[in-house]
Order: sequence, then structure tokens, then C-alpha cells
Amino acid sequence: MLTPAELVRLIAAIAKGDEAAFERLYVATRAKLFGVVLRILRRQDLAEEVIQEAYVKIWNSAGQFNPGLASPITWMASIARNRAIDVVRKRSEVSIEEEPAAMEVAADAPDPLARREMTEELKRLLECVGRLEPDRQRLVLLAYYNGWSREQLAAKFEAPVNTVKTWLRRSMMDIRECLGLG
Amino acid sequence: MAYSEDHIALAAEYALGILDADERALVETMMAGDQDFTALVTAWEHKLGVLNQMVGSVEPRPEVWQKIRVAAGLSETQPPMVLPEAPPPVVPPPVVAPPSPTAAVADGSNVIRLANRARRWRQLATLTTGIAAALVAVIAVGVYRPDMLPDQLRPKPRTQVVAIRTPAAPATPNAQYVAVLQKDGGSPAFILTVDGVTKNFTVRRVDAAAEPGKSFELWLISDKLPQPRSLGVIGAGDFTARPVLASYDADTIKAATYAVTIEQAGGSPDGKPTSAPVFAGKLIETVPPAAAPAPSPPR
Repeated sequence: MLTPAELVRLIAAIAKGDEAAFERLYVATRAKLFGVVLRILRRQDLAEEVIQEAYVKIWNSAGQFNPGLASPITWMASIARNRAIDVVRKRSEVSIEEEPAAMEVAADAPDPLARREMTEELKRLLECVGRLEPDRQRLVLLAYYNGWSREQLAAKFEAPVNTVKTWLRRSMMDIRECLGLG
Repeated sequence: MAYSEDHIALAAEYALGILDADERALVETMMAGDQDFTALVTAWEHKLGVLNQMVGSVEPRPEVWQKIRVAAGLSETQPPMVLPEAPPPVVPPPVVAPPSPTAAVADGSNVIRLANRARRWRQLATLTTGIAAALVAVIAVGVYRPDMLPDQLRPKPRTQVVAIRTPAAPATPNAQYVAVLQKDGGSPAFILTVDGVTKNFTVRRVDAAAEPGKSFELWLISDKLPQPRSLGVIGAGDFTARPVLASYDADTIKAATYAVTIEQAGGSPDGKPTSAPVFAGKLIETVPPAAAPAPSPPR
């Protein structure tokens, strides 16, 4: 994996149409982005389509990347994840029974990192998530990592959809306050 | 800018990914018309995005890269090349048999690169939407009945009428063209009007503000030209009027895509866009040549 500074340089080169830089960026980041979208889409073919669209968008919008706002991988993962969410929301809702039982563990770290490998930003966010009630922590993390809809979460938590909506909203505002966002 | 708690929560819910398809479309529409709201959503995406550090990597199949290359319009085997400098045209390019991008590919490596570049730009041109059509109606009012619009919306007098009464050369129909420059079908950011005879154009800022130290620059993108041509920096006021289209032929002007990029203050340093277009659109004829009395050449 390249360093963030190297990725920033590659994206700057891509903004000028440098195809070799684009290939290097792809090689360095494809597995991470594919992991993110596959987790949400749960289907290889859909995940491949999404990853393809995401990289085309990255190629076309490299000039809009602002390294002052986000790390390169965060920016790229946002593009890929947004596309994946769009795809799952437009498909008819997948019933919760179709989800593998492995999803049970997903509320926790899907691929726990040693704490020393986490960035400061991640540690801070996890501290804030950790201050939520345990059920709400799982709700937020299932929503983020698995891309579950409110309906899926409501079924999972055996609560009305509107209640889940309120919990999620309240949780996000708590996180916002904890992070000290304006 | 201060947003209500509902706006902030909506931005957070979008970034978290729990909105349904309709709600997501709503947020995307709001983002297209509001840079501050876009920044709010983006900030949430980036705050939450660090969670992806904990997601395990999975290798996609090798053929995915080939599909990306094709979809992004990358060259087949050519190494990247630097675009050659091209001076703005003094003489209008020939109208006869303009080379298509695919025909150009056979010519040589530089051309492949340029054709791809052009294709990439053209992909960003967006279709005009219902909103655009409504705005065209407003513009049409501006062209025919400027007195019906408040002062700030009235077009500069010189764009509206060029001697309506005199009969004239059929080769120069008095058509009026309008392009709504927008982002991905979102709300319009700029409206470009072009006089078919004088080729004067005006740009009206609808909903776009340049960041400090940056300028919006307008470009003409055409099949007939190897790379986007600058039409100049869009001024700080609501209107920018310029005669620079005069060096392009009518067909090029009509068929071109008009795009706006964000450049350093004062515009791109080397006459080439340094970023992808933020807003783009194509001209629509608002006054058909047959319906409008043809004027004499202005002089």
C-alpha cells in the first residue's frame, strides 16, 4: 500500500490525464475498495460493476479531490461506497433471511486492526461510537459496513422502522456532538 | 452557513447510507444546488469514511481493470503523452467532413490521446432537464420581452435585438441559442446565451460562487477541435459578455458542449483546463431561424 502522500501525488497526476498514474492508483487501492463494496453488495458481479463505475468516476473527477478535506483512500472509498449504496437501494429490498449468519459479527470491527495501526481519526470516531448504547453502536456499524436499510435494521432489531429511524438520527447527532463538529 | 438540525441529520443519514432511493435522490438534488450543503455531506462522508480502514481487502478479478480502461476511455497501448500546445484558431476550421473521434484514432498516437481526452470531456456534458426547459422559457422572455423581467435579470441590450427589420442574407439566420450549464442534471449554475448572428455571448451566473482565489473558466468542447478551447474567465458579476466566439464557425458553436471548470484566479495558466468540468451543457435554439426575421449583417 502506498502512503497517503504518494496517493495524493498520483491523483494529482491523474487530474492531468496521466494514465500510468491511474493504473498505479488502481493497483494500490482496488482490493480495499472492492472489499468495501463487496461487503455491501454481497455479490461479486454487482461489486465488479460498482468498482468499475467508481474508478471511472475517480478518473474523471480526480481534479476535484481536495487533500485538505480527506485522505485519498477515504475520498475514493466514499465514491465507491456511495455507488454501492445506490445500487442496493434501487434493487428490491433483500430480505434479512438472505443475509448470511456471519452478519451477526459485523457490528464489531469487521477486520480488527491493532490499535496502533488505527489513525487518530478512526480512534476518535470509535470512541464516539463507543459512547452510544450498545444496541445503537451495532445499529450504526451495521448500517455503515453492510449498507443495510432502515427496514433491514428494523427487522434485525425487532423494532418499528420509525423507531430505528429515530435511533439512527439521534445516534448521528450524538456522534456529531462528541466529535465537536460545527 | 448555518443549517437546521434536520439538514445536518439528513446529511449524516446520507453519508451513513440508510436513506432509501428517493431520499438519496433528494439529497443529491440538494447537493447539486448548494455547495455548502455538499460540503456538509462530504464532511460526514469523510468523518465516517475512516471506518473503512477496518474493512478487509478483497482482490477483484483481473478483467475488471480492462473494463475500467475501456469505460474510462484510456488509450489501448499508448504511454501517456503531453498534450501539444495549440493556438486558438484565427480562421474557422473547415466545415466539410469533420473527422469523427473514431476516425481520428487511426492518425497517430498524439491524436489517440487527444481524442480520448476530448471524449472524456464530452462524457461530462449533461442532458438538459425539465428545469433547463423552464429556464429556457425565462430566457426566451428575456430575449423577446426584457421589460417583463426585473432589472437584474434583463439581458444586456446588445444581445437582444440586432436590427430586426432589414431583410438579409439567408446564410446568417437570426437564431438565439441558450445553454444551461449544470452538474449531473442538477440545478443550473450558469446560463449561456449566444446570438446566432453576432456570435456574441453572455454568461449569467444563476447559482454558483467561486471559492476565494479561484475563478470559473468557460470552455468550448467540440468534435472538430483537438482540445477544449477557453472562452475566458467568467467575471464576478452576473453577466459576462464577450465576442470571442466570432472565430468559430456556426456549426461548431451550435454543436459544441460548453463546460465550466474551476481554475486558479484569473484562469488556467496555459490555456488548457486543469480540472474536470464542474458544469456543462449544450446549446438549445430558442428562436428558430425560420421564425425570426433575418437581420442584415451588423456593421
